[in-house]
Amino acid sequence: MKKRLLSTVAGIALMSGAAFADYPTKDIQGIIQWGAGGSTDTVMRSISPHVEKELGTDIILTNKTGGVGAIALKYVNAKKPDGYTLLMGAENPQMYKVLGLSDTDYNDMVAINILARGTPIFVAQKDAPYNNMQELIDYAKANPGKVKFGSTGKGGLTSIVMAMLESQVDLDYTSIPYNGDGPALTALQGGAIDVMPSVLGATVEHLKAGRMKALGVVDVEESKLLPGVAPITDTLPGMKAYLPWGPFFGVFVKKGTPEDAVEKLQAAFHKAAFSPDFIDLMEKRGFTILNVSGEEADMFLSGYRSTSSWLVHEAGFSKRSPEEFNIPKP
Amino acid sequence: MDALSYFAISWLSPELLGLTALGTFLGIYVGAIPGLSVTMAVSILISFTFSWDVNYALCLMVGVFMGGVYGGSRTAILLNIPGAPSAIATALDGYPLAKKGLAGEAIGLSTIMSVVGGFVGIFVLSIAAPSISEFALTFQPRDYMMLGILGIMLVGSLSGGSLAKGIFAGAFGLLIGTVGLDPMTAEERFTFGVVELWDGINPVAVMIGLFGISEALHQLHHMNKAVVKQKISRIIPKWMDVKKYLPLSLQSSFIGVIVGALPGTGGDIAALMAYDHAKRITKKPEVEFGKGAKEGLIAPEAANNAAVGGAYIPMLTLGIPGDAVTAVFIGALFIHGLNPGPLLMVEQPHMFWFTVGNLTLANIFVLIFGLTGIKLFSKIVECPKGILIPLIFLLSVVGAYAINNSVIDIWWMLAFGVFGYFMRQYGFPVGPVILGVILSSLTDENWRRAILSERGSLTDLFSNLLSSPLSTVLLFAIVFILVSQSPIWTRWIKPNLLRSKTN
Amino acid sequence: MPRTVYRRPGERVFCFLLVVFSVYLFWQAYGISGFSELSSPGAFPLATSATMVIAACVVFVNTLKLPEAEGVRFFYHCFPPIVGIVMALILIFAIMLESLGFILSSFFFLFVGIQFLYQKSVLTTLTITVLSLVVVYIIFRLVFQVVLPEGIVPEREILAAIEQFWRG
Repeated sequence: MKKRLLSTVAGIALMSGAAFADYPTKDIQGIIQWGAGGSTDTVMRSISPHVEKELGTDIILTNKTGGVGAIALKYVNAKKPDGYTLLMGAENPQMYKVLGLSDTDYNDMVAINILARGTPIFVAQKDAPYNNMQELIDYAKANPGKVKFGSTGKGGLTSIVMAMLESQVDLDYTSIPYNGDGPALTALQGGAIDVMPSVLGATVEHLKAGRMKALGVVDVEESKLLPGVAPITDTLPGMKAYLPWGPFFGVFVKKGTPEDAVEKLQAAFHKAAFSPDFIDLMEKRGFTILNVSGEEADMFLSGYRSTSSWLVHEAGFSKRSPEEFNIPKP
Repeated sequence: MDALSYFAISWLSPELLGLTALGTFLGIYVGAIPGLSVTMAVSILISFTFSWDVNYALCLMVGVFMGGVYGGSRTAILLNIPGAPSAIATALDGYPLAKKGLAGEAIGLSTIMSVVGGFVGIFVLSIAAPSISEFALTFQPRDYMMLGILGIMLVGSLSGGSLAKGIFAGAFGLLIGTVGLDPMTAEERFTFGVVELWDGINPVAVMIGLFGISEALHQLHHMNKAVVKQKISRIIPKWMDVKKYLPLSLQSSFIGVIVGALPGTGGDIAALMAYDHAKRITKKPEVEFGKGAKEGLIAPEAANNAAVGGAYIPMLTLGIPGDAVTAVFIGALFIHGLNPGPLLMVEQPHMFWFTVGNLTLANIFVLIFGLTGIKLFSKIVECPKGILIPLIFLLSVVGAYAINNSVIDIWWMLAFGVFGYFMRQYGFPVGPVILGVILSSLTDENWRRAILSERGSLTDLFSNLLSSPLSTVLLFAIVFILVSQSPIWTRWIKPNLLRSKTN
Repeated sequence: MPRTVYRRPGERVFCFLLVVFSVYLFWQAYGISGFSELSSPGAFPLATSATMVIAACVVFVNTLKLPEAEGVRFFYHCFPPIVGIVMALILIFAIMLESLGFILSSFFFLFVGIQFLYQKSVLTTLTITVLSLVVVYIIFRLVFQVVLPEGIVPEREILAAIEQFWRG
């Protein structure tokens, strides 16, 4: 009896929903900026079922890769601002302007939720002759050009972390670029590279198994997942100016989306990010849950953009100056 | 004893058994339809099986993986459209067989050999996973570079009549593969300022165009020719045949496992290398290669299914994906609360043998589903061309769109279709183009990594080539193939050498 | 394709175009980073495009040496009108795909294509068209969730309405 009543009520609610065209009346399309199996993909696929439950509609997830994520961003912004197309992405767009990839970034969109932030970490081959950041710096100075650093291309996480490091110390090293940190970490284990700035989540299992070693967490404090690994600010206090800093995952809609749809989406994602299995997943992968929207999200986005844009600009591989876009100095 | 009980988990539970069967069945169709990839299907299943128990989800996904790799051969044989890049080599000799009315026999043989390959892959996974994954890790950039060169040398066996035309096609393919933002420096290459070109030209779009569209356009010449009646009396191949080709399929399977286990290469490269291997060791084929040689069908099919087991080797032992599909599996394990990584075998001891058991089961279902319904499938070839050709075009367009949900891929596919049509008209082979596209980034990136590691010094690079046993072996393999196989050498150098001896 | 011992009509032009195309690509490849380092992004494209230029030249010269095939006409043997018409049809289909949407554009394409090539009654063509379209739509859009271009058909609204009808 109770069940039937419930379903009737639900039915009426849905019907009236359609009649008054309350958001959402149809499937929502979620455009994932990166390919299947990547960390953005994993995060978005694990939160979506919870959001679907909150909204009572399906989210069709579509991977649309290309142009360091710029193609997905362009696609979403070419659609109607009706809240039925979501951009699910990582931190990359915040660098588009200075790297000359696009004139649009997340600050020109509406943030539904910034879900979580990762922590960068320096890892090295397991039998490398150095065990922490200081020893690495000393070794690299004593053996100029000998240490092979893995990188993931200009504008990638490694390039920004290296720019931070080089703002503090002069290093002569060889940079070997890889197509993403997965292949680079594999190469680290095979000995093709010696050191690599990566994210905690991608390395934590390998660290626990002793297949590589952690030199320093790029943060102002130790990570819960890796007790005993000193934060980089112990060695280089000057790094405090940039930290905490890290790649993030967020969900966005086009500017001009109706207030009502934005609020419903924000509420749904906010609630979904509290579900225990999502929290569990994020903690295990070494991400710090942020779960912020509105002003807080905008502040976070602007902060990330100024730090990274200016670092890249001062390191000399920006195509355009942050000043052109009125990006303030951190 | 634990191992055995874990192995049997999916065999004893009717639900798991059913899900594996369903997955395999679905996978065969995912594989057969160009544009629908196993990677894509498995990621959809992640969302779909989100609330399920992890074992249930894995059974379905493993089935799709195993079935999908096999399924690519179906459309390759029947329509000359490989369902996935790993079935490209299958089309080279499979389609000529179908044109002769032997589609049923070709599918039957490819099924048996896929299953043999699958079992070899699983067997190697179960007995030697840890040592093979350590071995795979020792591959340095220079070794990957040499693997790429070994692959590029296949142009020789894919060229057919004219080597110059083959080399042109191969180099063109390599160049297509470099289009886009350089993954190492983010430098734009051949993008002409177009954002849509940043990610390059998708190999699957090139493949559908060069094989599917150009073949369908070519078929238009013979609209009034009657369709080939398919002989469907023999589907399960003769035991004699199986026995005769077993050594070849075992060798191909080993190529498949190793290439599959390497984190930078997958079933597509494995299948092409196995095809080349078959061509090299078969001294007197009954039918010429490229015209319907059974050896050319068997080798790639055994190799690409063996690569499935291979891809699991680094994934289960180290948490390193062996290919794109196992990368998605790692994501799925994370979502289900497991920690794929080097400790997986310690923390979740059942996972390894459960997967081995499940793969074995899926492979048996490939055999069952593969051998049933062949008669129905063969009928596709008998479908009137007036209906079949528009449908091939529609399917190609939808398939190209599905790769990345983008219309650009449709344009590329059509452009390569038309280009491929004229290439065929003037005797240019299309195989080397797609070979080049597949091998381009492997060779380019690793060449540059290798030379960067030596700080730009070629002499250091060559001295290091001889300092590691693995590199030395690969180098000798390249030299050996160059000397013994290349027509330039046999035609020019060998007679010259002989002459200088006699003088 | 049978191996050409004779030169087919248009083959000379095609091979010449390949030479021009290769030279153009070589020039483009040079533009990436010039002849700077062995590890530069332009090194590999330079090597491949140079190979293309050489191979294309060899092929072109070989083609010039071949005797012309007799009784083979370009617009009959190499590029018959039917191929041109079908190519044009696909081109129209691809152009219309985004604006009209998948359902309408492929309906027209299949209908015209099958009618033109199969030449049976309109009813037969219509049945085959609708049937195959339904199958393709179910496989791609519903099972594998490939959101095909919607164009002017409000597909998602229709699907939502159908779903509600079943639920309600």
